[in-house]
Amino acid sequence: MEKREITQVSGMPIVAGFQWSVGKMMERFIKSFAERKILAAKCPKCGYTYVPPRLRCGKCYTKIEEENLVELSGKGTLIGYTTAYVQLDGKGNFLDLDKPKMVGAIKLEDSDSTIFMPLGEVDPKDVKEGIKVEAVWRKETKGEIADIVYFKPAR
Amino acid sequence: MNRKIAIVGYAQTHHEHDPPNTREGMVFEAAKGALDKAGITREAIDTVINVSSDYQDGRTISNLFLVMAEGAYLKDESKVEMDGAFGVLYAMMRILSGNHDTAMVVGVTQGSIFSPHQISFYTLDPTFDRQIGLLNDISAAAIQARMYKNKHDVSDEQIAMVSVKNLVNAASNPYAHRKIPDLNVKKVLGSKLYYDPIRELNISPISDGACAVVLASEEKAKEITDAPVWIKGVGSCQDSYLRDRNLLKLESLEIAAKKAYEMAGLKNPSKEFDVAEVTERFSHEELMIYEALGLCSEGRGKILIETGVTERKGQIPVNPSGGALGADPVLATGLVRIAEAAKQIRGEAGKYQIQGVRQALAHGQTGLCAQSNIVFILGGEE
Amino acid sequence: MMKRNVAIIGCGQTKHGRLRDVNTSEMIAEAAWKAMEDANVTPDEVDAIVVGNMQGFGGIYDTELWAGELFGAPKPFLRITTGGTTGGSVAHGGYYSVASGLYDVVLAVAFEKHSDSKERGASTGLAHVAMANIFHTMQHGASIKWLVSLATGAATGVSAFQASCYMYRSGCGVKHLDMVAAKSRRNAAKNEYAHLRWPNCTPEDIAKTEWISYPLRFGHVCPASDGASAVVYAEEEIAKKKAERPAWIKGVAAYADEPNLMGENSQGTAITDLSEQLQCIISAREAYQRAGIKNPRKEIDMAEIYQPFPHQELMFSERVDLFDDGKAWIALEEGQTEIDGSMPLDPSGGVISTNAIGSSAMQRVLECALQVMGKAGKHQVPKDVKNAVAHGWGGATNFTTITVLGDSPRR
Repeated sequence: MEKREITQVSGMPIVAGFQWSVGKMMERFIKSFAERKILAAKCPKCGYTYVPPRLRCGKCYTKIEEENLVELSGKGTLIGYTTAYVQLDGKGNFLDLDKPKMVGAIKLEDSDSTIFMPLGEVDPKDVKEGIKVEAVWRKETKGEIADIVYFKPAR
Repeated sequence: MNRKIAIVGYAQTHHEHDPPNTREGMVFEAAKGALDKAGITREAIDTVINVSSDYQDGRTISNLFLVMAEGAYLKDESKVEMDGAFGVLYAMMRILSGNHDTAMVVGVTQGSIFSPHQISFYTLDPTFDRQIGLLNDISAAAIQARMYKNKHDVSDEQIAMVSVKNLVNAASNPYAHRKIPDLNVKKVLGSKLYYDPIRELNISPISDGACAVVLASEEKAKEITDAPVWIKGVGSCQDSYLRDRNLLKLESLEIAAKKAYEMAGLKNPSKEFDVAEVTERFSHEELMIYEALGLCSEGRGKILIETGVTERKGQIPVNPSGGALGADPVLATGLVRIAEAAKQIRGEAGKYQIQGVRQALAHGQTGLCAQSNIVFILGGEE
Repeated sequence: MMKRNVAIIGCGQTKHGRLRDVNTSEMIAEAAWKAMEDANVTPDEVDAIVVGNMQGFGGIYDTELWAGELFGAPKPFLRITTGGTTGGSVAHGGYYSVASGLYDVVLAVAFEKHSDSKERGASTGLAHVAMANIFHTMQHGASIKWLVSLATGAATGVSAFQASCYMYRSGCGVKHLDMVAAKSRRNAAKNEYAHLRWPNCTPEDIAKTEWISYPLRFGHVCPASDGASAVVYAEEEIAKKKAERPAWIKGVAAYADEPNLMGENSQGTAITDLSEQLQCIISAREAYQRAGIKNPRKEIDMAEIYQPFPHQELMFSERVDLFDDGKAWIALEEGQTEIDGSMPLDPSGGVISTNAIGSSAMQRVLECALQVMGKAGKHQVPKDVKNAVAHGWGGATNFTTITVLGDSPRR
């Protein structure tokens, strides 16, 4: 087709943000980070254990109540990982990282979900599937998601 | 199915990054092209299904200003906001209901407006995964790729062979975006590393494009064309969320394929369709797709690619058009797969025509690590 | 060909308002489970799910990818989003899923969570609606002030213009808008799921509120609610087993006109009267024909009109052929459109009392189904509901969804 002058417009004159309510289960989960506790929801019928916790089991559809919350040890197994050489900047651009970061897929002990967390204190060459990992907490925990800084190989 | 439905026309735009065309211009080109191919005018269309994304287009109600360009003026119109192949499912349902006899599905995405990778970030659980900020479609796929490689001893070279096959295939496809006729494994492994082991040439490009497909009930199809492409079967399934699904297999694709095969009456699927057009957003995904479609057993996808079974000259050509690695206009990609499969059946695929295609498979996906999948089985006149 | 009969066998909705103690996935699951329980089906009996909301308001893309497992995944999912008519389009999607014969039982759920917006008045989402679609006009000299006045509340600016067109066309006055608003607030007080409930609201109460954009006052305008609504569809045999009095879908239509007001990307439009709403007239005609309804004024017993702004209750009730063009205000004055009137309009309180945008058009279908099934509780109309019509509008006032429901299937 013929070459045309297409006017392009980008960006908007306003910025608007979001603030998601997390629900009761997530609130307890996040606030428990203050005590360095990781809670999970164990289905009272089939035992499938969700972390982060949730109100209903997706496997057998049974309701999960607050009394079904269990505390996990904070240790787990690395079942997958990748090394990131880039990072999204929030606007769709991939920026090169000065130092590669590692992301791990972790199955915490006594739970069934996979959580995706940063890995730290580890050389990409030494990471293997199946190694044991544990959570590393902020010195001053505040009951926020950022209280878990990363997971590192456990002794 | 209570009535037979056929594809009677299709058209797509030339997929590229940021071409000098508006969304509306692309939609008109595809819609008018599909009508012209079918030899009908817009008056003959009973209902139009638009496929587009609010987030990709940067504007809500993305079909709002496309009503005219897609020929939907004063017509029964709706929109599906998932991969375009799901739009074809909805159009099918509208015809099967008996309320309509013909339908047109028009899908468009200008990927250059906003990166689909950034948008994949917005599908995450906002209360947890999104706060940690490491996951997007590529990093999740990278974790999956490494798990898959480790479990089945698949090499980076074998995965790269998928990129080579598809990007070389794309060179014969006049509509494809990324064509690299002289690509080899070494060049793929030398491309930029994003999230280990996924490199630039393992990832589908961000394309701008539109595609339209015209469907008709049996009666109307026979009036419109001598070469209807019948929809023999369809199946779809959405898997659980990333944290609670098995990343080593595309389970929802397996379920979708089984349903489509059953509906189409295929007893020995891998022997009964002659070509497959699948949506592989990452090279390793195509190997996992082979397994989920039942072309080989779990972990053996690498054998198919290495022995050339899925090359154009092989027993089951997969993505002779270049697939998503060749052109990925996001939501229009599944529609393009359906159009390409129909092309093969009608013998209109030019330089990348596979010989003797009687039945074809088309696949579309939505969501991280192919969370939601849909499979169509198409067949020519008996 | 023999068309398949489809009925709604169960309905479920959350309470609407500012729901800060649940996250979006929990909110959707609540409505979905209530609908499945009301329909006497388990998730395993549901063949497919249709979902929709107005992307951009919640800040989550394709929410069902995350939330789906709470009420059914793994399962076939279909996402339908058409702006204001989303709920109606999702309702149609669910109907077509079963009518096609591909599935026998389908759950359709629509939702919105406006309170997840950080900006005041849920304006994060409104910024995406209004600004994203029209700010390119700034390139052609439009001022930000004009944009803001047009985009006020996203729909308020456009609807005020439409209200003026309608008042000129019909001869009704602002007092009629006050009357509709007051009636809706009173009806909403009888609906435990509604958001703005005002038991003894009078037109004078409404008239005391300030103007936003003539002829619309604050008292005329809908809230931005959080909420989800869901219905379960089933084919005839299953419907008869599961529900005592299923609500049969007798006719659907959803015609689209060119964008009113500005045309495609501000290229201009042939539409000069925003109250004409041609696509609504055609959709209603088509839906009634499919439903076998020849005289809607006699055969339709009540209607749920999508009216976030009060003039729309009058205007659209005329466009769906329940009153003569320009005469709905007379019926209003005579009390015909009250819950106990001869043509009850929006006994639920309507969109003007509860507006979770993605869900609102689905709620119109849901409320009509409740009325047909006799399950509408305190706002049940005190007469036999044999046929009802649910309406939705959206887009640049150019989209419509019409659903005709009844107490017996089309033969």
